[in-house]
Amino acid sequence: MEAIQDDRIKLNVGGKFFETTISTIQAGGPDSLLSALSTRASGSCYDDPLFIDRDPEIFSVLLSLLRSNRLPASATRFFSKQELVDEALYYGVESHLRKAMTPPPFLGIDASLVSSIHPAADGIPSSFTASVGEGSVWIAHGGQISSYDWNLTHSDTLRTHLEDITSIRRVWSEVAAVGSHTAPGLHFYDFFRACRVGSVQWTDPTDPRIYKAPVSAITDSPTSVFASFECKHKENCVLSIDKSTLQVVSEIGRQAGGAAKTMVPGKLTWLQDPGVLVGSAVSSGAFGFAGYIRLWDPRSGEVVWETVEPGSGRSSRFGDALADVDVDEEESALFKVCSKSGDVGVADLRGLGDDPWVYLEDKNPSWMNSGAGARGGSSVIHCYRKQVFVGREDGLEVWSHVKEAEEEVEEKEGGERKRNWVSEGGMYGRNYVDKVEDAKKGIIKKIEGGGERLFVSREGVEGIEVWETSHSSAAISILDL
Amino acid sequence: MPPLTGELHLSYGFLPKKSESSIVTLDIGGQLFQTTRQTLDQAGSKSLLSMLSDPSTYPSGVRFVDRDPEIFSVLLSLLRTGYLPSKAKDFDLQDLVFEAQFYGLENLLVSSLSNPSQFDALNLEKSLILSLGGRDPPSAIATTTYGSVHVAHGSKITSFDWSLRRKSTILTRFNAVDSILALSPSVAAVGATDISGLQILDLDKGFVRETLNWDNATKSSSTVQAIGSSPEFLFTSFESGRRNSSSILVFDLQGSFRPVAEIGHSEIYGADLDSAIPATKLKWVSGRNLLMASGSHSGPSGVIGNIKLWDIRSANVAWEVKEQVDCFSDVTVSDDLSAIFKVGVNSGEVFFADIRKLNVDNPWICLGGGRMGIKGKKEGAGCKIESHGNQVFCSKGGDMELWSEVLIGTKTNEDGLDERVFRRNLMGRIKDMGGSKITNLAFGGNKMVVTRKDQQSVEGFIGQPLKLHRSDGKLKRLLLHNSLLTIIDASQYTGAEAQVLEEKAIKDSLNGAATLWETRQNQVFSPLKDSRGSPKGHACGHFQSHNP
Repeated sequence: MEAIQDDRIKLNVGGKFFETTISTIQAGGPDSLLSALSTRASGSCYDDPLFIDRDPEIFSVLLSLLRSNRLPASATRFFSKQELVDEALYYGVESHLRKAMTPPPFLGIDASLVSSIHPAADGIPSSFTASVGEGSVWIAHGGQISSYDWNLTHSDTLRTHLEDITSIRRVWSEVAAVGSHTAPGLHFYDFFRACRVGSVQWTDPTDPRIYKAPVSAITDSPTSVFASFECKHKENCVLSIDKSTLQVVSEIGRQAGGAAKTMVPGKLTWLQDPGVLVGSAVSSGAFGFAGYIRLWDPRSGEVVWETVEPGSGRSSRFGDALADVDVDEEESALFKVCSKSGDVGVADLRGLGDDPWVYLEDKNPSWMNSGAGARGGSSVIHCYRKQVFVGREDGLEVWSHVKEAEEEVEEKEGGERKRNWVSEGGMYGRNYVDKVEDAKKGIIKKIEGGGERLFVSREGVEGIEVWETSHSSAAISILDL
Repeated sequence: MPPLTGELHLSYGFLPKKSESSIVTLDIGGQLFQTTRQTLDQAGSKSLLSMLSDPSTYPSGVRFVDRDPEIFSVLLSLLRTGYLPSKAKDFDLQDLVFEAQFYGLENLLVSSLSNPSQFDALNLEKSLILSLGGRDPPSAIATTTYGSVHVAHGSKITSFDWSLRRKSTILTRFNAVDSILALSPSVAAVGATDISGLQILDLDKGFVRETLNWDNATKSSSTVQAIGSSPEFLFTSFESGRRNSSSILVFDLQGSFRPVAEIGHSEIYGADLDSAIPATKLKWVSGRNLLMASGSHSGPSGVIGNIKLWDIRSANVAWEVKEQVDCFSDVTVSDDLSAIFKVGVNSGEVFFADIRKLNVDNPWICLGGGRMGIKGKKEGAGCKIESHGNQVFCSKGGDMELWSEVLIGTKTNEDGLDERVFRRNLMGRIKDMGGSKITNLAFGGNKMVVTRKDQQSVEGFIGQPLKLHRSDGKLKRLLLHNSLLTIIDASQYTGAEAQVLEEKAIKDSLNGAATLWETRQNQVFSPLKDSRGSPKGHACGHFQSHNP
């Protein structure tokens, strides 16, 4: 039994005596204050307890955490999260606390709205980035960027020179790349130094019309930042920018603009595994939606694959153009939501062809009655943790894999997994994440996952919703109320 | 390195010599506890505590365990008395459960907090609401003996543990689960009326352990209409996909869900639809080794149905009644009361038939005094009836009737059996009346759980959640206490709402109904008022220490 050991140590924290083992104390990591103290005082500390001049009550919570790897449920009742974090930082056991306070793996079928983050001023977020950092989020609102740490505590707000940030991407842990539809250039802001550390403009010495191009979408790879620029006369391209020098490396996919299939990409995603950049653009007009999805190889600048919708008659869903698209990196698949039918289509990235789309079916009778999914117009789609989230006018839904028998799963994981979206399409189950009341708050503008959280922003609504999965039943007592 | 054992000389002096050996001294996280080996052995032979008390592993001296001493003191009281002490209310139930698991005491905790023997139908109060994610209202519900609850909503199943404090959700292949039966806190048998097969699901990991099917004559799919179980067998009522034949299959629960028998196989020939109504409810009558199967069918001439009692060993029908006039809307059987109960679909009245004298022309006796035929039609449509212990619960719309047998013991009929008297109560308080129609009810541990139409939640009716020392005459409610804190943690109450809560709490404490408020009120509510608090209302309260 691990707990019965003889390397015992006595501590006197703020006048209260604690007895524990050195191995428990060292569980905080070799750099923690506690383990440093325990090694220094080892041997003599049993008779002469180590004195630490801190609050004993918080210490007892943190000691419980070290002993059982679990934060007592009563801890957050007596202490604020911030107090716990501060005290854990003092003892150097913050990583332990962070692990214990992290919500369980995010499941769309079992998620609830836990909080809403509201920036103090200009509360309507224009964009946000959550992809870097365990569940932290950076929100662009107006010309400001507010950062919220893993604990969703506000840590800093930075004013940029831009009036209205429309795209933001956290490219390093301290640096955000921001762009605006109304002002030219891509700008890098460092939170730590609270200043702009660089900016990039799209210029072409041979073409004077390429001038003051604003940024429309940003993404990054481990070494580069990609941003799509669009000039006043609609000519556009994607610039590949080196992360360390912040200099433009190459120009990808320069096009004249003016037509639906040459619009500036409104969404960029980097796929690390095959090393391709996925760009997509969607526009809606009197004749419905139009757009394209294009995959570039950034080294050669070549288009690897593209589809234009509404395209030629080859598509099985002519006239049902995409409304939004996202890439599931873990599953190497593209997911799109159709503008007219609202259907969700999936395409295997390793077998892209003329019409690679397989449409997910949902036989759930309760959906047919509700008429849900009929409108795909203002839909957004986001893939996270092998689940596909679709925000529609009438709610937030999730498509998730149905687990098969245990042995089948093992077999599939072992060998090369045979992919058959046609049969697997039926293996996706669709469920609502939210309640009817949630959908009435506003149309979902952006969904992004980060850590074990899902962040949702709504059109014209202040703040960002945070969804988490919880193992706590959140039982509500109604007795005597 | 300090010596571990034998150095601490405690004053055993006043104890007789012979009992000294049975005294065990434990050092839990720096605090000394003294108890006896007998007390620690209450935890069961495999638990950590009985290992600590074993003289062969620890011949003498103090045993050190690196855990929180305050929670241990509560658990030690549980070992000593079988009850949780009143100071247990200062801890979160989840923490107690987790710590009890560490020491191997969870069974003791379960039996002190959620014991089926504590079920007291006359004292059930609507006390908890467990909300479910998503938008699907619950379609079926299952409970285990000690009160774990599995709720099927849409294609998902959410499981709550016995304390109703932890939950987890899995996704099934069904579009909507129509029947669910809990085989253990983590395994359930699940079926639907539109997708073939009965699935045995592992609810922890979310995979299908086994799929059981019925090979019917038409080779079509076999959908599940009802599931039941006895200690040895799992019963499943299947209907063929073409809906022309049905059967009840008996699977071996001890082994690998091997089919052992098929009973009541029936096929529809011609237009005689009544001949093969599939059973939609299966109930095991353990006292008589019989399986009750009932099914009904709504046709042009009204609702018709049948109730059969099967002897599963011989696969013969021991008794059967065909329901023509006032067919049941729901039916149940009670072992303790030796009776079958039904609620009539037309009259909405509750009837019973004594199992001991079934062989009469009309076995049904109306509990409500028989106003049959006076009311309009379909009074009882959608009513649910279940029995648990000595009571019968019958839902009528949003209300719940509770029928109890009153033992008078004076009137004896000519057949030697007492004339039976049942009386009715309406459950709950005035504010609980009405509400949406009750769709499911189930029992487990000391609680009843209820789901309602279009409500994405489960209601828990809990008797006396925590029976602490009854002798002191005060009822202390750990569950109540914890849940209130949960609300305050989980939701964003405005200042005014918090004020209302606080006033209620003070009133209660004045009435002496819940003593915990007297001591906890400040800690519970002051964080909400405290401007230093974080957005969710956690602020520094006083962390009360409870040194023994």
